[in-house]
Amino acid sequence: MLQVENLIAGYGKVQVLQSISLNVAKGQLVTLIGSNGAGKTTTLRAISGMITPESGTIMLGGDNIAGLSTHQITRRGMAHSPEGRRVFPTLTVADNLELGAFPRLTGARPRGEVKADIERMIALFPRLGERRQQLAGTLSGGEQQMLAMARALMLQPEVLLLDEPSMGLAPRLVEEVFSTIARLKREKITMLLVEQFAAAALDVADYGYVLENGRISVHGPAAELKASPAVRAAYLGAAH
Amino acid sequence: MFEYLLSQLVSPVFWQLIASGVAVGMIYGVIAFGYQLTFATSKTLNFGQGEALMLGALVGLTVAPYTSYWLMLPVVAAFGLLQGSVVERLGVRQAIKIKSEAGWIMATIALGIIFKNLAENIWGRDDLKFPPPISEKPLSFHGVNVLPMELVIVAGAIIMMLLIELFNRRSIYGKAVVATSNDRDAAGLMGINTGLVITFSYALSSLTAAIAGVLVAPVTLTGATMGSALGLKAFAVAIIGGLSSGFGVVVGGLILGITETLTGYYFSTGYKDVPGLLLLLAVLSIKPSGLFGKSAIKKV
Repeated sequence: MLQVENLIAGYGKVQVLQSISLNVAKGQLVTLIGSNGAGKTTTLRAISGMITPESGTIMLGGDNIAGLSTHQITRRGMAHSPEGRRVFPTLTVADNLELGAFPRLTGARPRGEVKADIERMIALFPRLGERRQQLAGTLSGGEQQMLAMARALMLQPEVLLLDEPSMGLAPRLVEEVFSTIARLKREKITMLLVEQFAAAALDVADYGYVLENGRISVHGPAAELKASPAVRAAYLGAAH
Repeated sequence: MFEYLLSQLVSPVFWQLIASGVAVGMIYGVIAFGYQLTFATSKTLNFGQGEALMLGALVGLTVAPYTSYWLMLPVVAAFGLLQGSVVERLGVRQAIKIKSEAGWIMATIALGIIFKNLAENIWGRDDLKFPPPISEKPLSFHGVNVLPMELVIVAGAIIMMLLIELFNRRSIYGKAVVATSNDRDAAGLMGINTGLVITFSYALSSLTAAIAGVLVAPVTLTGATMGSALGLKAFAVAIIGGLSSGFGVVVGGLILGITETLTGYYFSTGYKDVPGLLLLLAVLSIKPSGLFGKSAIKKV
């Protein structure tokens, strides 16, 4: 579904990604782990067009989307729940969800049942239901994270990019976020998950890539990566 | 002194001054509202906004004889949309792309001068009379005389701003505009073409100015230079009220309009601009984000 090949990207003269290749098959949950500054967020930003890649190809369902602008990539079915949540603070929870379906409401993607989907999102994240008419800026960090994920799902995406959905959340909420991700996986939503909690991410994922200084150092089925001594030592906090 | 002030409060003259101050203030408010529309989406604004008002009035003056004052309004609105889009494409887009801090300021001022020269060549340098659409006979409320056109100005300005607010709150496209104002990158992730939203906000901003032009033209003189002072004063209003608040700019407009007419009558018309400008200086030194502003103005 999503194939990235030899992706080189960065900010201005600073090249962050040296040459990244990765593959997310339809219905799969793939995770990208690595230490801070390895280039995880940059990878997602390059895929969704928030930064323009220097070179490389990004194939989404057979089309190369590298070089397109963000809104064009979104309209092709790439949803991105970005780092820092980035909900629209002066709009209500309901309006934020509706905007997630903007391409569907404006004819750029099949419309489907937007209202019913909002209800489904509220069933998935009941807390958002209680806050429906509240401004998104007044939500707690955990609620904003749920809203950001729900908003991205409102696109009915081909691929969902999740950037650090657990960041800054209390342990109980981290668990909740991961159980939601597991549920989305059961619903066969294609996902690329960037996480700081490598162990939890590998537990839920089908396949994993380890990013080190802008390069993929190891990749393999999630269970194998979790068992690998090198990965355990570097990212899973295991004692030698 | 105190008794003199008290006696003024019950005099019809005082209330008449307030009424014309409100009418002038609403025009300042509408132009400033236009500044706020583009500042919200792009953190830039059109320093040729006064010229957009002037062009609206002159286009209206040219079209009105062929139709009627009321049928001319949609034509002026369409012209405003087009003119605003041109300003954004030529003067602002490139500056935003390269994140230039000053490029758009110079470019919009330059376009304003070009529009003024253009108008001087098409409509001449002399001020023209805009035939009023309704009676010029003042209405009297308890001895306070109000021009019917002043009521039209106030009503027109309020209706226009309410329609824009309604659009922003209710329609999906309006919500896309608010989303772009909140967080441009995140709005892009929603599939919103934020470049187009910025063009649209410029178009809408010029539309409000152009309509304000035809509203104000019957009570002022109409000509190529009519917009310059209005645009500048409305800019002061936008700073006083706060560029991030649609409500604030209207209040700012009313404050400036009323202080102007009162000063003009009780002191001297030569000093009528002074209190408003003193207020501007006071606001800049005490609360730089404006009376109703949310965050500091960094770019202007």
